Formats: sequence, structure tokens, C-alpha cells
Amino acid sequence: MNTSPHTHHCQGCLSRRRCLQLISSAAAGLTFSGSIVSALGRERKPAPDFVDPVRLRPHPLTRIEAAYLQQPRPYWLGWPGTAYPLDKTQAEYSARLSQSCERLGLTLRAEAKPLEKEADLVTLINGIKERKPDAVLLTLQHMQCWGWADRVSRETSLPTIIFAPVGTAFTGHLAGISRRQGVHVISSLEWPAVEDGLKMIRAKRMFEESRILWIKGNERNETVLDRLGTKVRAIPRDTFNQLFDKMPADEEAKDIASTFRRGAKKIIEPDWNDSVNSARCYTAAKRLLADEQANALSMDCLGMVSAKLVPTPPCGAWTILQDEGITAGCEADLHGATSMMLTSYLLDRPSYMNDPVPETAKNLLIASHCTSGTRLNGFNKPTAPYILRSHSESDLGVSVQVLWPEKSPITLVRFSNPNELIVDTGKLVSNVATPPAGGCRTSVEVKMDNVEDCRDVLGFHQCVTLGNHLRTIEGFCQLYGIKIVHSPREATHFVPETKPART
Amino acid sequence: MKTRCLLGIITLGLACLAKPAPGAEVQFTSPGFAPSKMDAQGRLLEDWGVLELKISGSEMADTAEVKAVKLDEVNQAAQSSAQHGGVRVTRTAYRAPVWPSGLDVLTLRLEETEGREQSVQVSLALPDSARVGSRTISIGNRAVVALPANARASQSRRNWGYDDDATALPGWGKPKVECDPAFRNIRAGMGGVPIHYRFKVESNVALTVVLGFCESHWETSGQRPMTCVVEGAPAQAVDCIAKWGQHQPGTLQFAGNDQNGDGELTVTVLPQTGAPDQNPILNVIWIFTAGHTIDATQVMRGRLNVQAMHYVDVGGANDQSLFAGGQAEYMIKLPAKGAQEMTFLVACVGGSVPTPERTAWTPEKLCQAAAQVWREWKEAR
Repeated sequence: MNTSPHTHHCQGCLSRRRCLQLISSAAAGLTFSGSIVSALGRERKPAPDFVDPVRLRPHPLTRIEAAYLQQPRPYWLGWPGTAYPLDKTQAEYSARLSQSCERLGLTLRAEAKPLEKEADLVTLINGIKERKPDAVLLTLQHMQCWGWADRVSRETSLPTIIFAPVGTAFTGHLAGISRRQGVHVISSLEWPAVEDGLKMIRAKRMFEESRILWIKGNERNETVLDRLGTKVRAIPRDTFNQLFDKMPADEEAKDIASTFRRGAKKIIEPDWNDSVNSARCYTAAKRLLADEQANALSMDCLGMVSAKLVPTPPCGAWTILQDEGITAGCEADLHGATSMMLTSYLLDRPSYMNDPVPETAKNLLIASHCTSGTRLNGFNKPTAPYILRSHSESDLGVSVQVLWPEKSPITLVRFSNPNELIVDTGKLVSNVATPPAGGCRTSVEVKMDNVEDCRDVLGFHQCVTLGNHLRTIEGFCQLYGIKIVHSPREATHFVPETKPART
Repeated sequence: MKTRCLLGIITLGLACLAKPAPGAEVQFTSPGFAPSKMDAQGRLLEDWGVLELKISGSEMADTAEVKAVKLDEVNQAAQSSAQHGGVRVTRTAYRAPVWPSGLDVLTLRLEETEGREQSVQVSLALPDSARVGSRTISIGNRAVVALPANARASQSRRNWGYDDDATALPGWGKPKVECDPAFRNIRAGMGGVPIHYRFKVESNVALTVVLGFCESHWETSGQRPMTCVVEGAPAQAVDCIAKWGQHQPGTLQFAGNDQNGDGELTVTVLPQTGAPDQNPILNVIWIFTAGHTIDATQVMRGRLNVQAMHYVDVGGANDQSLFAGGQAEYMIKLPAKGAQEMTFLVACVGGSVPTPERTAWTPEKLCQAAAQVWREWKEAR
């Protein structure tokens, strides 16, 4: 039931601030509203205190060096073969590489000509050592170039993507190098796989350029995470609720509340005031992120709600931030937040950290929490249907029950620490309604792949994201030395108790 | 060129109970954390004790001073300098803002100033309570110093002991049945660190090795599968829960020998690839002369301890490092007008140091992180 007393809800009639927010967000393909088209017709200036969420997502300088490795022409026998169109292939891949770099915001330096002599290779290696790009992309054009690729990787010690179009590698060529830390090998004709490799480099740079606000306790300090290089700024929890108290129920807040309500398939508990308060949480979070030059946050929200410091839990606001590509994590779970950043930065889509519940009758994992994003297929893709609910544990404020697409593959990721990631995959079976179930609002049943018993799924607050991204995540972890752990494939079996031996 | 040996002995001492000498002290920290101090003698004053860098031997320092400096223009640091004959010794310490508690980075720089090649012995003198691992030094279960990556310490060795960075957890095991008390204690390779012991033996000798385990964390199998490797014997995989159950002690027997003839028998327990719990554990080691019939039940109950060549209560009272406490040494050769740096990572207030093999931190990255945090730091509004 929509209980909004707000009468000014016509489609396309948005305030100045919201309009400009949508325009700037649309430019980056990031907006949570589905009603953008009608809003674009007006020209308005932003309010001076408006925080553009697009600017909160990191946009690091990411430098890639690319080169083709070939043998002296003309080719005669040996793979890829005399008939292989070298010039045409290289022109095509160069065009695709330029497009990918432009799309991903990468700075590309490509060797003007393919390298085919030892001297060329030495020059390349020395140049790379001097210029220190973030990664090297080598495209192989002959099977005899693997030794050179190996040398570039070893001698530069830089993350190296090796693209071996079909016809330039046998299994034996990949045996060692493709499983070595710091290397990502793509033996394929699929260009999207190469772009995924480039995204790995960009994601690492985004981690390095990010600052997470860790909102909890009373301390204020700053540290840096091992391996990821992400800065963690701890700030007192009261900072947030004091800022929330100052945030007005202004045009921006009302527009957000209105748009969010209008996009809902159904509204059950939240009334208009709940929605405005949730929008104030969102604007407070943006303001705090901007003030602290931060790009993500994780807050002791349960403690705040427990102490009744805010009238609404931040769940609904966190959903909006997630859809804008800004990680907003729950319960001050830092590694939960970095796991969400991984799907945001590497896969361009939100995830939600979940409380894992074993459904033993059906042998399914129920992944449950109150802060799922809605743009499950990507930040620039349409939203999934959602229902506006209250935060289940407190029955306060706004939380979103996102209806995830049934029968879709999903991936679960969780950093145990910055050096180790739990990764599992499964297939979404159904959405779980609350009630009859208890627990959090977005709740989905998952049939796990390669995990015989749902009770054995590893981790807590694993982050659920749509799609099977195992290969991409494995590639990222291998490039940057992050150890991967999977839940046990085989079930644990009941062990009868043994009586203590008599002495 | 003739090498002038032992110009000076530089002793880096860990003296937990030592009091700082009076005189000037320089504090350094990173934003929001309690500071550490360097005193006039260039010693680091930490919450776990004093990390001392002092000069001993025939040639004492001509001068010594400590001052506050800025690295990369922003990074708070303390620096102590002294001239020891023909070698200039500079110790620089700053706080690296490593999550969660930070750590102190102490760099020792040795510069030859007399224009001839010289050898310097850097000695790491340690109290008996400090346990030396392969790359870290621990007090209790806290890793307090990570040793430099670019130098290998030559340390006096005992006849047997652990040579790893695993952690002792006394009282972790809760055996439900009568067994040797050593089943109550373990060492655990936290973060996937292998547990590794060496025993001095006669070259090429054959021995019977029995390893004892008691899993008291997991209730279900499949969580902590491990591989046990005894030199000269086939490796054995073990999942304690699957084999014996929770809180149930059990043993594995190996027909080992000094296969490579180096006069040492090695025993290693490591996590299986892909194991959900990557922390290997080990409770007990018995080593018997070969040829004896070993009754597993009697071994498990501790009734053959006296017959064993070695009985190790792993993580318990009679356990020990392979390296004797008190001293570890580095021999440094300095070319004429040359210099060398050694970087020690040091635990600061409330923290510990990471295991070097398992971290991506390097001295360069630590310095960059410190500078970046200082540049972008601002106090609360």
C-alpha cells in the first residue's frame, strides 16, 4: 500500500537538484531511477551543496602498455599458419583495444609495430621498466613467442595479460605460465575476455585509489589494507547520526523518496516520512563521503539502530548508493565492504552481503540481508523489481526486498582478509518472502554448485552478485596474489560419538 | 682488496624489560594512533619492550644523536646517526599505517666512509623468551619483528626445534580420552604457514616417526585436511575429524630416514591445496630408532615417551625453536664508499607484524602508504 501523502508525484516532474543528479548520473550510466528519459528535457543548475554521486566513485589513472609479438614474416608452416591474416587481425584487435580502453577509462600506450626481434624485446622491457605502467598486454601472433611473453612478465614484474588468439597456443604452452601469479592468459577469440582482463587492472587501481569510511566506535584514524592498497579511515559512529540530524527534508530528499516509491512494485510498511528519512540518510552519506574524500563506507548500523540514534536504519539509502556504484556496507564489516567493492569495481554491478542460512530440507543456501542493490545486471542496466519494506529486525524505516531473477547463476565472494578470498557459485532457485520466513528482506534460495551440502558453505556476509563470474574473479586474484578458497565439494558425514575409553 | 673484518659489531637487541636511557626521545606515529619513540641511543621503545640497536666491540661510536625528520616531506620519522670507525650507521624509524594497528619500520643503513671494503657483523641479540622463526621473531604468540628480506641470519642452532612461523596455542586441544598431555597443546600455521621441524640425526639413519593430532575446533570433516611429510617416508594425508573425530587424539606413523644425508630429519605438516581451513595443526612428535614395533595406543597414551629419541610436546612446555635465543647474526660486506640497508618491521602498540611470505607489503609500498595517508589526513571537523 502506498501511503505517501505527497501529491506531487507525476512522472517527469522532478526538482532541479534531482534532474541534474540524474543527468550527471546518466552520463556515467549510473542512476537508480527508471524514469530518466522524461527528466532530461529540462536545463537546471545544481544546488551548491549537491553531492554528485558520480564523483564519489574512484576514477584512477590506469596505464596499460600493449604490444604484438610475432615472428619475422612471411610465415611458413607452424601455427597460426601461412594463411593467418596478420595485418588484418592486428588492425582489428588494435581497434577493439582502443575502444575497450576508452570505454573503461584506461590510458593506452601501444607499440607502433609488432615486435619480432630480440632487440625489440629488450627495448620494450627496458621501456616498460622505466615507464612503470599498471599492466602490460601482450598479443601473441605466433606459437614461438611464448618465451618472449614469459620474459616480459618476469623481467618487468608487472601484471601481464597475455592474449593468445586461437592458433597461437597449445595446452602445453599454457601449462606453467597461465597459472603463475601476476599473469592472466586468455587463449580465445573472445574479445570480451580480454576486456575482462583490462577490467582486472582497472579494478585494482580503483581499490588503490579508494578510501573506505569505517564508521564505528569513537576513534579517528587511517590505515591502509595489505595487497589491495585501499585506505581505511575510521571515524566515530556519532559523526553519521549528527550529520543526519542536520540533513534537511529538502527537494533532493523528497525527490529521491518519491522516485524510489514510484519505482517500487509494491510498498508494504514504509510511509512517506520513512521514505524521506531514508533519503536523508542517503544525502547524509553522500555528504560525509565527499567531506572525507572517501569512495565507500561501512557503518555500525545495527548499533546505531539499537541505540535509537536515527529514526531509520540506512538500508534503503545503501541500496541507492549500491546502484550508483558506491559501496555501502553494513555492520562495520570491513571485509564485507571490500568484497562488495570487488563486484562493483571488477564486475560493474552491485552485490549484497548476506547472512547465510542453511535450508536443510531442500539443501539450499538462503542468502539474506536488507541492503541489496537493484541494478543486478550492471550499473547501466535496468533495475530488478523491488518491494519497499521496513528493516526487518527493527521494523523501522525503509529496506528493499529486491526480487532476484529465478534460475539465474550467482556468485558468492568474501574476503577473509585482503590476502584471501572465498569464492563459490550457484543458481538462484527462488525469492523468500518475509513472512512466513523471518530474517532480512532480500532473501534468496541458492542451489550451490560444487558444494554437496548447504551447511558447508564457507564464510559469513559473503557477497551475492548476479551471474557466474568465477573465471574473472580467479583471474583477478591470480594477477594480484590473492589466495582463493572454495567451500568443500564433498559433504561432511555424521560421525557417531564414541564413549570415553575406560582407564 | 683486503677486507677489514669486524670493524664493528652492531647488536640489535630485544630487551623486553630494559628501561629506556635518559635523554632526548623522538616520537613518531601515523594519524590517529599512539606514538612509538626512538631514544638517543637509537632504540625503539615499544609496548612489548625495547628494540635496541647498539654498537659493541673495539670501536665505539664517535657521535650519536636522534632527531625528528620528515620522509617524503610529510612522513613523521625519527632518525639516529652515529659514526663507527669507517662506517656511518643510520637508523630511521617511521610508522607505516598498515591496517589494523600500524607497524613501525626500522631501517638500518650502513655506509662505508673510509674508501675501502669492510665487513660488518650485525648481530641480533635476543632474550630467551623471544622465539626466532624463519622470518619473524615472536614473544608469546605475538610476532614482534619481521626480519629483512635481503639478508639471511646465521643463527646458532639447537639439535632440534621448529623452523617456521607457526603459533603455539597451549591448551587448544581438548582430548576426550586418556592420552598423553601433549595432545592438549598445538602449534598452528596461521594463514597457511607450514609447521616445520628439524632434528639433528646421524646421516642417512632410518627412524620411526609418530605424529599426534587432536582436532578440537571443527566438528565436521573436510575442513582442515592436511598433508604430513616426514623425510624419507611417503607423505600422508590426514583429516582428523574423518579419521578420529572431534577431541579424539590419533597418531600417524612414518618410516623416515635422512634421505638427503645432511644429518637432519625434517617433519612438515602443511595444509592441503584448497582446504577450507588453511591453518595446519600438530600436537605431538615422537621419534624412535627404527626396527622397534610401535604400539600406537601405547604411544598415544604417552607410555613410550621415555623410549623415544625425541618426544616433542608441540606448542607445550618442552617445545623450542631450532634457533637458540640470544643472538642472530648478519654478515655485511660493504664495498668502498658503498652502502647497504636492512629493513626490520616492528610491532607497535597493540599490533603485530605480518609474516613476510604472506604479505604484499614491501619497504617501498609501506613508505608510499605512510606518505599518502599523511598528505590526505585531516583532523575531525
